[in-house]
Amino acid sequence: MTDRPSILVPVRVLEGESLPEGVPDLLADAHVVLLGYHVIPDQTATGQARLQFEERANRRLDEFEEILTDAGATVERRLVFTHDGQQTIDRLIYEHDCLAVLAPNATRGVEDILVAVRGTVGTDRLTRTVAGLFGDRDVTVTLYHIAGEGESDADAQTLLDGLVERLVSLGMDEDSVETRVERTNAVLDTIIEAADDYDAVVMGESDPSLTTFVFGLPADQVADRFLGPVFVVQRERQTDDEEKEDEEGEDDGGDEAA
Amino acid sequence: MGENVAGEAPETDAGVVTGVTTVHDDSELERTIGLTGALAIGIGTMIGAGIFVFPGLAAQNAGLAATLSFAIGGGIALLVALPTSELATAMPRSGGGYYFVSRGLGTAYGAIVGLGLWLGLMFASAFYLVGLGHYASAVLAELGIVLGFSPVVATGLVFGAVLTAVSIGGTENTSAIQNVVVGILLVVLTVFLSYGVLDAVGVFGRETAPEAFFSQGYFPVLSTAALVFTSYLGFAQVATVAGEIEDPGRNLPAAMVGSVVVVTVFYVVTIFVATSAFGAERLGEFGETAMVEVARDLLGTPGAVAILGAGLLATFSSANASILSASRSVYALSRDALLPRKASEVNLRYGTPHVALLSAGGPILVLVATGQTELLAEVASFLHLVMYGLMCVTLVVLRRRNPEWYDPSFEVPGYPAVPVAGAIASFALVAFMQPASIAVGVVVMAAAYGWGRYYAEGVDLEGAI
Repeated sequence: MTDRPSILVPVRVLEGESLPEGVPDLLADAHVVLLGYHVIPDQTATGQARLQFEERANRRLDEFEEILTDAGATVERRLVFTHDGQQTIDRLIYEHDCLAVLAPNATRGVEDILVAVRGTVGTDRLTRTVAGLFGDRDVTVTLYHIAGEGESDADAQTLLDGLVERLVSLGMDEDSVETRVERTNAVLDTIIEAADDYDAVVMGESDPSLTTFVFGLPADQVADRFLGPVFVVQRERQTDDEEKEDEEGEDDGGDEAA
Repeated sequence: MGENVAGEAPETDAGVVTGVTTVHDDSELERTIGLTGALAIGIGTMIGAGIFVFPGLAAQNAGLAATLSFAIGGGIALLVALPTSELATAMPRSGGGYYFVSRGLGTAYGAIVGLGLWLGLMFASAFYLVGLGHYASAVLAELGIVLGFSPVVATGLVFGAVLTAVSIGGTENTSAIQNVVVGILLVVLTVFLSYGVLDAVGVFGRETAPEAFFSQGYFPVLSTAALVFTSYLGFAQVATVAGEIEDPGRNLPAAMVGSVVVVTVFYVVTIFVATSAFGAERLGEFGETAMVEVARDLLGTPGAVAILGAGLLATFSSANASILSASRSVYALSRDALLPRKASEVNLRYGTPHVALLSAGGPILVLVATGQTELLAEVASFLHLVMYGLMCVTLVVLRRRNPEWYDPSFEVPGYPAVPVAGAIASFALVAFMQPASIAVGVVVMAAAYGWGRYYAEGVDLEGAI
């Protein structure tokens, strides 16, 4: 049994109906940090919204927690009232040392997963996420790389082969991992297009703008074009006093589990 | 803790404060306002009045010595800002001065300060809106549009209604806008004042208007300080949102003291430049929009246009900040059962406290309709000064009692001299106001006390941290 990767699942708890279809199944092998959050405008004190909505929000989270637990996940939950959803998400990623954040869209089933690989940076966390979530399941994982200018096909294939090796060493079945290389200039468009054939996407954060890209305003665009769930693997978050200590494999995310 | 007349009890789960959140039993509240945001609240609330409304009025009353009036106001504000910083780091919660006083001195004083602050903010908002009306009228006059009536009150009312509606229905990022507005104002003013100072000291070889410093005598210096003290009400608004400020132990003192120092410097320089350009007497004739004439004199039409625009922005942002603070004080009061819980209700659609905003917006429009710049300003100052004085008293009381929960991370320098001086100065300044303002202020306070006795007789907040 692989370590359960901790995945942050942010839900705007007072909007929308329930957890999207297929998401509980997708997270069956995860340690879910369930974040219910409610964004309030600046003219309202956060405490004011708490007084009024806390009970209602917690009832919703109770339901979600039960559904996720029934599907097999372990769950920790937080309820946050905030003026800035992105700041709250970032803080919880850090506090729980989450490997990835899920943009929880609905999905049909969990059979084919697209893993977008950008380069060698952050592959450790990427592979741990993929192996942890899908290693023990009957799932086909496709490693997908868009080769850059001056990058030969052989280079690209070497990169992906290295990742396959890592996944296998983490307990994945080699037959369930496929690789695919493409060349294009419109990177995001191509990924979104390719994703159409898959049930979910795993991709690296690569730079801070991508989190904004997934959760900020253009999120609607992504959701419109790729309707499925997206795991955004986070780069290692560094605390102030261990600035350059780049040790991987520290996972205290589960320690605070109640 | 007890109950009020309606059987509501104060909210008891005060939560645990960390640098980034307030953690309650079943949820947490994110702190999202950084130092820049907090400074913008303080400076943005204050700078509108002192620079864009008061120079003409102050110069008329006190002559060149109005510079000293502003300096005295700044000194008193600083004497209060330091103790407020200590209290705020010990109790970084929504409600600011009301929270400190109700916890330190009990429900009765809490009611006076809390309701007084709420009403004081309404007077302040109305004052800013009248100032805004003057600027809007000046713009109309500049464009050569002549109306059959004075547009000051009418435009003030329109802007007041628009602000209330926007506060209820708007979900855009108001604090980001506030930051930008304050940034623009500071840049415009720095350029304008630098030029003005160089001109005043004769670099450009023009004649300035030399005159006696105390041309109107000594007493007007103090009464003018009382009048213009409305220009220093903003730092307490920072404490009102203390529950949402990141790293409160560091940012609260820095924002409160910092904003007072920044605006004091700007005010003193502004009055110096303005009186140098025209002489106090002529400046006074220009009234609320005197700065536009100063700018025109120094920099021609482009200067006048820049200051007109800045004046609109500044008074608008002051009014906006005060309306939002007013609605936060309603929240703090209803959380503590001093007002009905219903008063702080939030609607799920916009996430805004519509009852609180409307109950502030209505009275504000009535006050704007009076068009009494000086009366509105003084009553606002009166109600704030009572709170300031009581905050200083609270600090001394808490220091002496030293309850277990009282653990401020910022300690006021020069204790007990600073808080004692702050209290005396605050109460003393009230005495220099016009009798009409004092009368209105006393009536408002008596009403607040009466309401507290009637509605929340059974509620005990002292030490309910």
